[in-house]
Amino acid sequence: MRHRLGWAFVIPTLLFLIIFNVFPLISSVVLGFTNSELTGGSWEWVGGRNFSRVFNDPKYAAAVRTTVLFTVVAVAVELALGFILALALHRDFRGKTAILTLLLIPMMLPPAVMGIYWNFLFDGDYGVINQVLHAGGLLAPPQWRTDPGLKLLAVVAVDVWMWSPFMLLISLAGLGSIPKHLYEAAEIDRASRWMVFRRITLPLCAPLLGLAALLRATDALKQFDLVMAITGPNDASTQTLSTLLYQVIFSNQRVGLGAAYACVVLVLVIALAIGVTRALARMRSANAGQAV
Amino acid sequence: MRFLIIFGYALLAGLPLGWLVLTSLKPVAATTSTSLLMWPGIDFIPTLAAYGDLFTGDFPRYLGSSVVIAVTSTIATVLLGTACAYGFSRFPLAGSKDWLFFILSTRFMPPLAVVAPVLVMYRMLDLPNTHLGLIILYTAFNLSLAVWLMKGFIDDIPRAFEEAALVDGYTRWQAFWRVIVPQARTGMAVTAVFCLISAWNEYGFAMTLNHVHAVTVPVWFAGLQGNVQGVPWPTIAGGVLVFVSPIIVFTVLVRKHLLRGVTFGTVKG
Repeated sequence: MRHRLGWAFVIPTLLFLIIFNVFPLISSVVLGFTNSELTGGSWEWVGGRNFSRVFNDPKYAAAVRTTVLFTVVAVAVELALGFILALALHRDFRGKTAILTLLLIPMMLPPAVMGIYWNFLFDGDYGVINQVLHAGGLLAPPQWRTDPGLKLLAVVAVDVWMWSPFMLLISLAGLGSIPKHLYEAAEIDRASRWMVFRRITLPLCAPLLGLAALLRATDALKQFDLVMAITGPNDASTQTLSTLLYQVIFSNQRVGLGAAYACVVLVLVIALAIGVTRALARMRSANAGQAV
Repeated sequence: MRFLIIFGYALLAGLPLGWLVLTSLKPVAATTSTSLLMWPGIDFIPTLAAYGDLFTGDFPRYLGSSVVIAVTSTIATVLLGTACAYGFSRFPLAGSKDWLFFILSTRFMPPLAVVAPVLVMYRMLDLPNTHLGLIILYTAFNLSLAVWLMKGFIDDIPRAFEEAALVDGYTRWQAFWRVIVPQARTGMAVTAVFCLISAWNEYGFAMTLNHVHAVTVPVWFAGLQGNVQGVPWPTIAGGVLVFVSPIIVFTVLVRKHLLRGVTFGTVKG
């Protein structure tokens, strides 16, 4: 009886998720075996043809490379920057809360909208970034929006602007959780500052930093909004997996083929998601232990 | 040294937002000039014309769509999520751990990877280009966050409160509404803010499903890319500013709970 009552509270949510999340996921696999088109109309089963096309498509391989490169570079820079900021912000000073809140704002902003605004800042002629660089003495400032080598860098830069605060926030929690007596003991032992950092600060922050990196990586692998805003979906130097999916499904109007691409992407995402959920579970039980 | 790092970064990170404000106050010609125009009153004469254009144009309509979709889906998410979190928090349900992880895993799904089957399903139900279509998807997407956040908040409420209510003759349902919900008010507000911002900012589903009717602001902005000549930069900057200002206000309001929000309630600040 008690249990039936408990299920009554959770079943609406579970049903909702099964209908609008699990069901599309399964139908994505089914669609992948058809030649459905965006315009609707008749379709046929095509067996594994779509899937073999995915693996023979050089664009797919390039998109995987771009996505992984983007994720690794962006997350690494954000982690380093966020951790350095956290070290600087760790000790209390007047106005700390206000500064911290201000620093955190970019991570809450809409990437699709901010990306469009950043285009304006990146513009080769009237963009403020190049105007400042020019005023600073650089006679031929970089062409962020047209130079193939710089376009991905521009996307990374905006991502770093938005998400370093996220790393800062989690790093601060990590630094705050280190017991003070460890530092006092180190002082008695006259350990150097570098030793203290390497033997106490870094290892004790590592679990939270790992969690932060995983959370960001699952997000960065989905990268869509910024690329759409800054270069559009079909730019060879910035095409990520999500924008490739967009291109196949909506520009080429191949829904069946797109679904096959999506399945391959999902395998990647699910593997990473399992890592994240495990890390979060560990975090939760560690916190529960602390509370006791 | 510490202050140099902090203020150096704050200045660099804050400049784009400052420039946004400045741009929205410029006359159109000043935004496509190749020289650096920084000082209002010296380099250009500040004007509110961009905001006038913004609110006499189509912008209010798109803003309305964004508000309806984000607010409705947030209410649905918080109600469903709170009930679900209560169920998992207070009843020893079979496989509750696995269910919770299933719920969390739905968060990691890339919108573009499921948009094809969603589109096929929505066409059968006549949901593309409707408010309801996006409300449903945003609710589904945000439920994982709501359940995990609310579970953290409800776990913190002592069981003795409801047990006393149950002894007094309340039913479980009454105890939930009259004891838990009032106690979890802060948690629900924080959860609502996170769901609201996430729905407000969403672009992937919005641009692929709703490009004719019930268009949200991010999709409208993206559409301006092609015809920047049509909508000048000061108007775009003003629109961005109007669109993100509620987010900034809400971020300041929930500043103490940001850590919880971004870690699904597993790390409590």
